[in-house]
Amino acid sequence: MEINPEQNCPFNSDHVPFDDVVLSSRARLARNLEGFPFVNRSTTSDCMEVTSLVNQICSQEDSPISLQWVDMDELDEITTEMFVERHLISSLLATSSHPRAIAVGPELSRSVMVNEEDHIRIQSIRPGLQLNEVREDVHKLDLSIEEVIAYAFDEQLGYITACPTNLGTGARFSVMLHLPGLRIIKDLQRVHQASEGMSLAIRGYRGEGSGTIADLFQVSNQMTLGETEQQLCNILSEEFLPPVIDWERKARLRIAEEQSSKLDDQTFRAIGLLQNARILSPEEAMNCLGSIRLGICLDRIKNIDLSAINRLMIEIHPGHIKRKYGQKLSVDEINRHRSDLIREKLDT
Amino acid sequence: MTTCDLCDKPAIFHDVRIVNNVHSTTHLCAEHAINAGFDVGPVDLSLAFTNSEGVNDEQCVKSCQDCGMTIPQYKKSSLLGCPTCYETFKEELFPIINKVQNNNSQHVGRAPSQMNVDVNRHLQIRRLLKKLESAVSQEQYEQAASLRDQLKELHESGDRHGN
Repeated sequence: MEINPEQNCPFNSDHVPFDDVVLSSRARLARNLEGFPFVNRSTTSDCMEVTSLVNQICSQEDSPISLQWVDMDELDEITTEMFVERHLISSLLATSSHPRAIAVGPELSRSVMVNEEDHIRIQSIRPGLQLNEVREDVHKLDLSIEEVIAYAFDEQLGYITACPTNLGTGARFSVMLHLPGLRIIKDLQRVHQASEGMSLAIRGYRGEGSGTIADLFQVSNQMTLGETEQQLCNILSEEFLPPVIDWERKARLRIAEEQSSKLDDQTFRAIGLLQNARILSPEEAMNCLGSIRLGICLDRIKNIDLSAINRLMIEIHPGHIKRKYGQKLSVDEINRHRSDLIREKLDT
Repeated sequence: MTTCDLCDKPAIFHDVRIVNNVHSTTHLCAEHAINAGFDVGPVDLSLAFTNSEGVNDEQCVKSCQDCGMTIPQYKKSSLLGCPTCYETFKEELFPIINKVQNNNSQHVGRAPSQMNVDVNRHLQIRRLLKKLESAVSQEQYEQAASLRDQLKELHESGDRHGN
């Protein structure tokens, strides 16, 4: 499968709404097929039967969902790693050994994972704040699949999932936020408090159990049962995000006013480091990119495009580096090539 | 009162297995169950297997009739084995669902639109065949006969519709 790393980066925002604070929006639906055990209790032949049934839908010539089918066992290691880095597939799907597959849209933003924790995980990811758009994307895919496949469904519990945390709608909506302003003025607690009251979960960049990096946070709905898909989406987009975006923007302006020398120092120190370093760990690179991002949003830097930084936040990860510079690279070599890549991109 | 197979204490863990038509039962007290590596679970979930007067020694570890999942296995992975598990372990799962779903227990979102009749019939046949296989292996011949009748009816209804 031909993947163009420059194409359709989930953070590739060109003036999408609220892209100063919201890097990307994601929706996913968990579904299981009626009549089959869940993946963790499935035999190899069950898994093959499920992949074959979903494949029939995705591979139909006149299918309106236009997805490309890839058996995970046929996907090369580096492309698999890139897909994980782009949040197109989960690490679980990448590393499992049973028959599993992914159907992916040519624009690399919509995907259907087959035989992950649930038989089907439908997903869409877009740059900036586009929660309603990603909700529509997964809804359309869901409709096309359910025309042919009978989902496990219960009037009370909704869509039946392997884990009770996904019951009901099976829908998880999430946004990736960049909150350096609130971190600097030490007001992140406010965001956490707001999220708790709305049953939202805040996690680090890599999801569950991960720490914070470059002031990036993922926020998603915790409960999936008892609210409609639209309501779950609205809690994030209409109740939680407007005040948080406002707090973050005000915090940034306050920093620009009250700590302008410190802000400039951090911004240009980060540029200096990235333009001169010859070895860069992913953490150091990400943190510098985060500082530059803040500088761009506050007009401290004019000659670097925000979307270039957003793209780099994806392209500096190991799978992307290996694809560009060579298949078999050691960690040291990846760290060296990471610095080469960043210098190249910041010079243009 | 059933006692532990390894000592004289009351047994609280009962493992019933049928392998190649051979039926075996193990009764263990809490200490021996834990020593044997069985997950008897945290107190709140273990309560599901006891009555208000203490340990219900007649209560065996339930397993799902469709996939064989048990609550100790569920607690290890936090994943259920099949849709039927939600019916089998309804009582045990109810507080867990309430907790993780913010006290919501009724779905209000969208539901699948009208299912394709052929797909539905195919899945019903598949499910019945699995149940039939399990009934025969457990020598439950009455149940097997009833399942065979249901299968015959489904096949005939398919024929009537020109399938």
